Amino acid sequence: MDIYDILFWVLSAIAVSCALGVILSRNPVNSVMFLILTFFAISGHYILMNAQFLAIVNVIVYAGAIMVLFLFVIMLMNLNADVEPQKGQLVQLAGVISGGVLFLVVLAGIKSARPVTIDKAASDIGLITNLGKVLFTKYVLPFEISSVLFLSAMIGAIVIGKKEDAKPIAPRDEEL
Amino acid sequence: MKAIIATTIFGIIMMFTGIWVSNKKTLATLAVLLFAILTGVSIWDLVTTPANAPQLLFSNMLRMEHYSLWFNTLMTAVTFLYALLMGKEIQKVGAHVAEYFALIFFILCGAYILSSYNNMLMLFIGIEILSIPQYILAGSDKRNLKSSEASLKYFLMGAFSTGILLMGITLLYGAARTFNIMEMVSVLHSDSLDPLALAGILFIMIALSFKVSAAPMHMWTPDVYDGSPTPFTAFMATVVKAVAFFAFLRLFQVSFNSLSSHWTIVLAVITAATLLVGNVTAVFQQSVKRMLAYSSIAQAGFMLFAVLAVNMWAWQGIIIYAVAYSVATIGIFSVLVKLKDYTYDGFNGLAQKEPLLAFVTTIFLFSLAGIPLTGGFMAKYYVLLAVVQQGQLMWLVIFALLMAAISVYYYFRVIIAMYFKPGNPELNNPVTPGDKLMLIITCIIVILLGIFPQLLINNI
Repeated sequence: MDIYDILFWVLSAIAVSCALGVILSRNPVNSVMFLILTFFAISGHYILMNAQFLAIVNVIVYAGAIMVLFLFVIMLMNLNADVEPQKGQLVQLAGVISGGVLFLVVLAGIKSARPVTIDKAASDIGLITNLGKVLFTKYVLPFEISSVLFLSAMIGAIVIGKKEDAKPIAPRDEEL
Repeated sequence: MKAIIATTIFGIIMMFTGIWVSNKKTLATLAVLLFAILTGVSIWDLVTTPANAPQLLFSNMLRMEHYSLWFNTLMTAVTFLYALLMGKEIQKVGAHVAEYFALIFFILCGAYILSSYNNMLMLFIGIEILSIPQYILAGSDKRNLKSSEASLKYFLMGAFSTGILLMGITLLYGAARTFNIMEMVSVLHSDSLDPLALAGILFIMIALSFKVSAAPMHMWTPDVYDGSPTPFTAFMATVVKAVAFFAFLRLFQVSFNSLSSHWTIVLAVITAATLLVGNVTAVFQQSVKRMLAYSSIAQAGFMLFAVLAVNMWAWQGIIIYAVAYSVATIGIFSVLVKLKDYTYDGFNGLAQKEPLLAFVTTIFLFSLAGIPLTGGFMAKYYVLLAVVQQGQLMWLVIFALLMAAISVYYYFRVIIAMYFKPGNPELNNPVTPGDKLMLIITCIIVILLGIFPQLLINNI
């Protein structure tokens, strides 16, 4: 049990318990806080795997930008009260059964999976130099083509956000 | 590859033209022109690729086979036809006409990737490029609450299913240790199979079934198709759905072919459920637009047959089905947008007022129902033939024929309303000779596909 193993188990325990906290806490603000903690724990795992760049990006983009945005939206919309709608008994039962079956499938898969051990600290694949090299050689097409994706997302933000002549019209075809 | 570059550039051209040109008609004309050029570019792509030597591009990210390029060409041509038929209606949706057309060009970029991806990463990016513009198009009629609801619903459900897709890809990568769908084949064998791969295949199947609106992942379809502006519903229900099916078929045919004994039964149950839910629920609809949404679920059931039959016949089936179904559905929608009232009663007496409109609608409905001498019959024939050739799922084929019989009921209700019920349907604006010409051309295509389906499959 060296320092690496101890760190691994501590981080894993934090990640799993915080992930549970996300779905178990009733207050949305607490959920977001737990999610940020989960991201930090996962970033710790990245560092253990010698992937510093991924760890930093994970912290900056997810924990930093996206989750802060989440928090702002929740607070602006005043959702921090316990407003979770209650589902019917039947829906809950159906959820438990289908979720349980899915859990079994994944558990069975993971149980009999054949793990590969990678040389943990010696691997330098996560370093920024190697990442950049791979990104601009082998994975250059997905890297470039995702610009189309971002472009359409930007158009979407403009089309949906821009003000149009405010003349509300009733839905054309009435619901039966 | 030329087509991917061209469609991206055309999308950007549309965007920038929108800054300087505010005349909607000019923008629509430019878009139609660019779609025509794009069709030319994809034909160029097709003829410059040798038939038996697939092109591997960008360290195996894309694998351009002859049939995927042919599918690209057909889908671009269908989009061109769509722009000709619907151009006028798209102008009426809202203020951002240039952006709508730009988004359609970007959707085509996703379509080209999905028809020739060779790597799970490209599958994921392709699905996203295909989906995100659709979320925006669904919500483009901002004055209509149902349109906003459709957009939000589609976005949330779509994001969720993308999460499932990613999870599936991750599990599959854990088992196969590669993203390349050709290399996967050598790793995934029935005898030495990592169970993680099966879980991954299940997740991917569920996510892709969502994208093609197969039951029980179809819940979003009626609301989204009904709420979106009608011209965009026509595009979502046809080209986009056909492309998603092509991607579905490509993955399951190329990579998971040897494992078909594991997933066939799951997919067969999904197919049966899709056929049942789509056809039976469509019977009870009062709005023709909503009926067409359910009918598109039912037609998805038939297209799933191509995925189920893991043989070479499936490619022919999916190509014929995609074109026949898309052309007929776009035709129906282009008649529907001309009417004020979308209920069955809105069609009452259309045959007296606009005989031509009623006639072409009848042909399109015949095609969707699968009456001989129309494209729809040949399409159903080829997909069912593919499964019969495979020889294991005869019960499903018989069930599908029963369901096709049910579909005749709700398609013919429209025909009965048009020809045998008195009424005075209100039109949004008068039907111009140009509209009539386009509808007649569409109608001729539908009949031509029914008589000479070989036109579509001869060169694959």
